[in-house]
Amino acid sequence: MKKKLISRRILLNSSLFVMLFGFAVAVFYPVVRFLWPPRDAGSGGSQTIFIPLNELGVGDAKMLRFQGTAIVVVRKENSVYALSAVCTHLGCIVKWERENNRLFCPCHAAIFDLNGNVLGGPAPRPLPTFQAKIVGGRIVVGDA
Amino acid sequence: MEQKSGQQKDLEHRISLREILSWLSLVGFVYGPLDERLGIRQALEKALKKPVPHHVNWTFCFGGITFFMFLVLAVTGILLLMYYRPTTAEAYASVVYITNEVPFGWLIRGLHFWAGNLMIIMVILHMLRVFFYGAYKSPRDLNWIAGFVLFMLTLGFGFTGYLLPWNQISYWATTVGTEIPGAIPLVGDTLKYLTRGGAEVSQTTLTRFFAIHVVILPAIISFFLAVHFAVIRRQGISGPL
Repeated sequence: MKKKLISRRILLNSSLFVMLFGFAVAVFYPVVRFLWPPRDAGSGGSQTIFIPLNELGVGDAKMLRFQGTAIVVVRKENSVYALSAVCTHLGCIVKWERENNRLFCPCHAAIFDLNGNVLGGPAPRPLPTFQAKIVGGRIVVGDA
Repeated sequence: MEQKSGQQKDLEHRISLREILSWLSLVGFVYGPLDERLGIRQALEKALKKPVPHHVNWTFCFGGITFFMFLVLAVTGILLLMYYRPTTAEAYASVVYITNEVPFGWLIRGLHFWAGNLMIIMVILHMLRVFFYGAYKSPRDLNWIAGFVLFMLTLGFGFTGYLLPWNQISYWATTVGTEIPGAIPLVGDTLKYLTRGGAEVSQTTLTRFFAIHVVILPAIISFFLAVHFAVIRRQGISGPL
């Protein structure tokens, strides 16, 4: 049997296909990467957050990202509290209510105190807490 | 016998590879199963196999290039919408975020920016070509008017899009640009107040320009593009010089 090489048509067809495929990859790769949400800069790296005292008044709260989750930092007269801001019921972000001295979830009215304990509503577990203290004119959240 | 069956297998193998390739290049699908069901081959050939007259040269490409720019702008514009935030507090920050943080954000924004500028240049070149060929004359005069509307809409895209990054240059360009209709006698001040949505360029202006740029103008321009192209297909390419 005479060994037949690949025909011209098959060669041209396959080169056309390879070219089109390469072109499609070159177009769609940037688009897919663009649509994939980027990680927040600096959220994973630092294990400690520093907040100057003048940025957070007594009785106020600040929302931050810490170790990949949303946290709320509340400053009281002589102490600071850092808690996960993600409600343990269905994951909404809780809100600090200064006048009621509590954390309130707007989705289904779960209520937490500053130690994360559930005071009311549908939340099944307390909010996780983080270390927070005032050291030398600034609030330190996390270790150190 | 053994050899023959081997040959046959080889042949079958080759045919199936060929079929796969023709399927992948879509010709196999469009001229195969789709043609059986819709008779699409005849329709496609009628629509696409139009002989190009001899006098047609590369200056006849500007309109097509303009439309290509429009398609690039539509795609990259939709992509930019995934991250852009149209508020005075966050617009600039979101544009910086797109440019510096989002993977290939610089590319998408750059494509949108450059395609926008090139589209206006290409529209002008296309108009010059039509003008110097006298192709605006009857029976193509109405399509010249449709084209002029498209030109105005393109400039409208440029003007409204320029404000969206909400930086100094866009703020002041919009201030000056909306000041111009204010010089019209009698209705000027009302017109200025209407375009700005208030006494000065503010959040309302940004919201308004954003809505015009991403919803209102695309809808209007799509209609006029359809008209422009339908008339070209009906009347054919204009004659030589």
